[in-house]
Amino acid sequence: MEEEKRYYITKEGLVKIKKEYEDLKKVKLLKTKGDVPRVLQSEDLNAEYLSFQEDMGFLDSKITELEYILKNMEIIKTPHKDKQGFIGLGATVFVDVGGQSDEFTIIGTLEANPALGKISNESPVGRALLGHKVGELVSVSSPVETIYKIKKIKYHIG
Amino acid sequence: MKNILNFLIETGKLKGKERRGWVMHGIKNSETTAEHIFYLTILAWVIGKTKKLNIERVLKLALVHDLCEVYSPDFTPYDPLLPKDKKKAAEVLKKWPKLTNALRIKKDKKKNELEEKAMKKLISNLPIELRSEIKNIWLDFSKGLSKEARFVRQADKAVNFLQGIEYWKKHGKIQHKLWNRWIKEIIDDPALIDLIKAIEKKFY
Repeated sequence: MEEEKRYYITKEGLVKIKKEYEDLKKVKLLKTKGDVPRVLQSEDLNAEYLSFQEDMGFLDSKITELEYILKNMEIIKTPHKDKQGFIGLGATVFVDVGGQSDEFTIIGTLEANPALGKISNESPVGRALLGHKVGELVSVSSPVETIYKIKKIKYHIG
Repeated sequence: MKNILNFLIETGKLKGKERRGWVMHGIKNSETTAEHIFYLTILAWVIGKTKKLNIERVLKLALVHDLCEVYSPDFTPYDPLLPKDKKKAAEVLKKWPKLTNALRIKKDKKKNELEEKAMKKLISNLPIELRSEIKNIWLDFSKGLSKEARFVRQADKAVNFLQGIEYWKKHGKIQHKLWNRWIKEIIDDPALIDLIKAIEKKFY
């Protein structure tokens, strides 16, 4: 686990993480009692988390990871009105890039899902866009330069 | 043992399944799904070692991640936009696959459904413990539940980028500028970002 890492998450994401943490603790408790069939049949647990119940070591490491995240997390808040003209965490950004328009929401690494238009603030593009405002050109370069023209910034995270 | 053998034979079919993305770009004798799994497993191992990860889990995730493709289609980001006409399809490939959020969600849902169905079929006759292990590892990968899975999901993209850049240098048929843009939007793991920089340094 990298030290000093901060996790930026939405309120919705925090609810999910807390639920996952509580579920996994329940799974561990029942597993310790040898009550696996009841764990598997339980309807109040998210079926996805049951995938961790077969390997106790892995279950423990997942619980430890969640504890670390909960300890080092920060909720993404909508910025004050006078700062909403700048790209920050939680902003949906409309851009023109390479002659095509595109949009994505900049979010923390745990909730990033580029296939659904949610890109991480720690990705090279997410990092480069942060702090910029409408009308600005942002260059993400290496051997190939890509220019993002910022057309619109919108916040809808509560 | 008969059911395990049948599973192996079915899985072995991935050795002959060329990846659709490369075929669409006109790459002859392109990488197969099995070759992609091999390349990813090696990458995930050697880069994963530099991180505090459960390497056994990482390797299993890499090995299992595309097994569903024995029966499910090999999806590409362009799928919802591709016309049947090959010439028109070639034009589509020259641009970034711009999808609305609604289309992204629809595509993701369809992909998940078909892959889950395929995975169930592939492992249905395996002994229960093995079946359960493969199913859980695949579920972990597809949902990104563990830090190992989140790493392998990104490593999957990094190895695809590496293969794409290799094809670009060899055949020139890959829109490498689009690939460069894509990879910088989707990868945030520091070790994999370093790998991308090394790829760029070597090939440009």
